Amino acid sequence: MDFDEIYKTYWQKIFRLCMGYVNNTDQAQDIAQETFIIIWQQLPKFRHESNIGTWIFRIASNNCLRQIEKEKRIIKTELPINLEVEIQESIEPQIQLLYKYISELPQIDRIIISLELEDTKQSEIANITGLSEANIRVKIHRIKERLTQKFKDNGK
Amino acid sequence: MENNIDFKNIWQQQKVNEPNKDELVKKLKKYKSSSLRKLILSNVLLIATSVLIILIWIKFQPQFLTTKLGIVMVILAMVIFLFSYNKQLPIFNKIDHIKSNQDYLNSLKKLKLKQKYLQTHIMNLYFILLLAGICLYMYEYALRMTASGAIITYLVTLTWIAFNWFYIRPKTIKKQQLQLDEIISRFETAEKEC
Repeated sequence: MDFDEIYKTYWQKIFRLCMGYVNNTDQAQDIAQETFIIIWQQLPKFRHESNIGTWIFRIASNNCLRQIEKEKRIIKTELPINLEVEIQESIEPQIQLLYKYISELPQIDRIIISLELEDTKQSEIANITGLSEANIRVKIHRIKERLTQKFKDNGK
Repeated sequence: MENNIDFKNIWQQQKVNEPNKDELVKKLKKYKSSSLRKLILSNVLLIATSVLIILIWIKFQPQFLTTKLGIVMVILAMVIFLFSYNKQLPIFNKIDHIKSNQDYLNSLKKLKLKQKYLQTHIMNLYFILLLAGICLYMYEYALRMTASGAIITYLVTLTWIAFNWFYIRPKTIKKQQLQLDEIISRFETAEKEC
């Protein structure tokens, strides 16, 4: 896989991962771009014995974690309260809510759930994060429960 | 709202226009040149100062050992500063991006702890060498002055040194440490959540 191909295949995925992490389009785009810069630099070192997806997601999620160093206690912007009344039939607010809720999770949980929603195998998520598969399974279950609860609370 | 929300479906509908790849390449080049520029700028300033001091040495031919020693110490201070400043960048880039998240967080934290240790020690060493060097360097020229002139010169210099040592140095170190401590504690929090 060359860089162009990786860029085409993974841009949206990486963007979503970053978006789930920061819930801010501009910032997410910046982090995604940074990630591709690292991928571009590291690609010659990629050894084909491991899965390219795992390799890319490791770089991307690590780069998200790197933001811990830069972020200055970002104050997350609140959604307008009456949003769901206005555009109930549209899925848009649901997307916004999902990303907002995910970005409020603990750091590592954001990465875990983003990878899960990208259809990454649990064994691979374990490999990317360094946690055990059993731990990942439990965490995903809990995170989904938590997100469902938040959606429910929001929908009253 | 139903119990089983299709998170995957919602998640994957978030789309953003893929930026042009050329733009990315442009950014990549800019990024490379900006960090290089910063490195060159700080190096040029310190090297220029060192060259100036060496020129003074050649031009005025100091007689005393103290003067020469002073010059060497000041240059040494700058070299150490340069060395540590330049050294920081490679350490930073040496982090393995391919590690698992857990290991990555851990190495980020270790890096910051190392930086914290180095910064304080190098800062102290830099100030000691620089200030002691200046005092030694001045000695030869102060001797040629009148007694009161020499006393005033030394008094002014020592006041300046005291100001640097007791005010600037701790302030700089404290500022650096505060920043690093905050980052370290954030890494620790993220690590605990694993």
